[in-house]
Amino acid sequence: MDKLLKDKKALLFFLLPAFLLFTLILFIPICQSVYYAFCDYDALSAPVFVGLKNFKRMLLDKTMKIALKNSLFFLIFSCVSQLIMGLILAGLLTNIKKGRNLFKNIIYLPCVLSSAALGLLWMFIFSTKLGINQLLAKIGIEGPLWLMSTDGFIILPMWVITFVALWQYVGQSMMLYMAQISGIGSSLYEAAYIDGCGKVKAFRYITLPLIKPMVGTAMSLNAIGSLKFFDLIFNMTEGGPNHKTEVLATHLYTQGFEYFKYGYASAIGVVLLVLCLLTTFIINRVFKTESYEM
Amino acid sequence: METKLNKKKISIPTILIYVFLCILALVYILPLVWIVLVSFKTNSEIFTSPFALPETFYLENYQVAWTAGHLGTATLNSFIVCASTLVLSMLFGSMAAFAIGRLRWKASGAMMVYFMTGMMIPVHCVLIPLFTRFTKLGLSNSLVGLILPYLTFSLPTTIFIMTGFFRSIPNELVESACMDGCTIYGIFFKICMPLAKTGLFVTGLMTFVANWNELLLAMVFISDDTKKTLPVSLSKFVGPYNTNYTQMFAAIVVAIIPTIVVYCMFSNQIVDGLTTGAVKG
Repeated sequence: MDKLLKDKKALLFFLLPAFLLFTLILFIPICQSVYYAFCDYDALSAPVFVGLKNFKRMLLDKTMKIALKNSLFFLIFSCVSQLIMGLILAGLLTNIKKGRNLFKNIIYLPCVLSSAALGLLWMFIFSTKLGINQLLAKIGIEGPLWLMSTDGFIILPMWVITFVALWQYVGQSMMLYMAQISGIGSSLYEAAYIDGCGKVKAFRYITLPLIKPMVGTAMSLNAIGSLKFFDLIFNMTEGGPNHKTEVLATHLYTQGFEYFKYGYASAIGVVLLVLCLLTTFIINRVFKTESYEM
Repeated sequence: METKLNKKKISIPTILIYVFLCILALVYILPLVWIVLVSFKTNSEIFTSPFALPETFYLENYQVAWTAGHLGTATLNSFIVCASTLVLSMLFGSMAAFAIGRLRWKASGAMMVYFMTGMMIPVHCVLIPLFTRFTKLGLSNSLVGLILPYLTFSLPTTIFIMTGFFRSIPNELVESACMDGCTIYGIFFKICMPLAKTGLFVTGLMTFVANWNELLLAMVFISDDTKKTLPVSLSKFVGPYNTNYTQMFAAIVVAIIPTIVVYCMFSNQIVDGLTTGAVKG
């Protein structure tokens, strides 16, 4: 038995395909990408090491600033809004008896649909003359330019996109919280009710502390998801008007695959990677709690 | 008598909750229903009566989108890519998971960490090196060039979930198989794989959903119309110079129907599976 499980040949057989794929297609390219970030590199020439030049250029790049601002706004807004909405929905759904699964499945549905397709749908709904504005025109209101307006620090299109993203992905957080809530023993609640505790109070003092570890997990998923965010923006605004809705991912795409500035795009990729690792680290730090007996 | 009592118990907060949930459900369902309705309209109807039921069921949208918009080829491509990724990632992923979760060797923990870092790395960071490398190897504009990265990016979750499943298989089963002279390969293919069916199902669904919807890699790697997958071919219908909204909606319907069908069939497993995957990750 022991001999069988320690067989080195078998180990190679089982591990090698996945290990090779992972190393060749993920690990080595990551290292290359980090190297390219310090290189002058485009579609025509080979990479030449230039040190921090790409990062210095980033400081002067106005679009980069907008992209970074939008990405951070998107990160914070979606973390907070999904936390609140996800918790409310999970709290409501675990407290109703009939139709729980129906509502759960309906709210989760957009998570599995193509965000490219949904992006096109919402682009249509929020377009200048069609969709919502047609409806508003009927009752005599001139609708705003949902995806074209450029006023304010965080422009209207960004808000529209973040709400669409909330619509699409809140199901994910809700599911995670529901899974955790259903794991809490009913005896805890019964004891609380006997002591004269209402439902809202029970949610505040029993449910919330007990799902804190899950908040960390859901939030780091959210954070990475919103930093990677690309499909919806690309199909709703393509980063426009005038690069005002650009986020890091779309900026990387335009620089890399429309202007073929591979080196610069790699540098943006490195920023993205660092942000991903950093936020995951911070969230894990904040929500790291001793687990309670349930 | 008892039913009467129960009916009286329905309190105002409960009614409010249900009203809220119903409104929310409408917010989720209406846009999707509306896509289907619009896909049967003519382009001029969109401008005159966008929210009414279509006057006639105008099927030409689908026909044009399917042929002129290369939607047929795109659907086929998506199926080929997703199916091969699905099978390969289940096979390679569970093999690696078996090595990590069941075989005894020193670096198994470190190997797990190595694979798990893949979950945190955004695909954007590897786009450029992969693109240049694949172009040199002639893998750009080919479905194989798409399957390889999809497969790699599906591995971490697959390995993670499957490791858990393999570890939960009782030792006695493996031992008794061993006594009966089963080889290690036999233990994997004949005992562990069948026992971890639920896990395979879950990871398979997750891989399918993720890759069916993937846009960025497909957009970068494929420029040839006959090789495009569904999400990429969608955006062709609307641009600065053409606004075939109705065809676009027909295309959207084609793109999301398979996932909706799969979702309706297995919604409970999908929801559970995606949650376990995420929780453990």
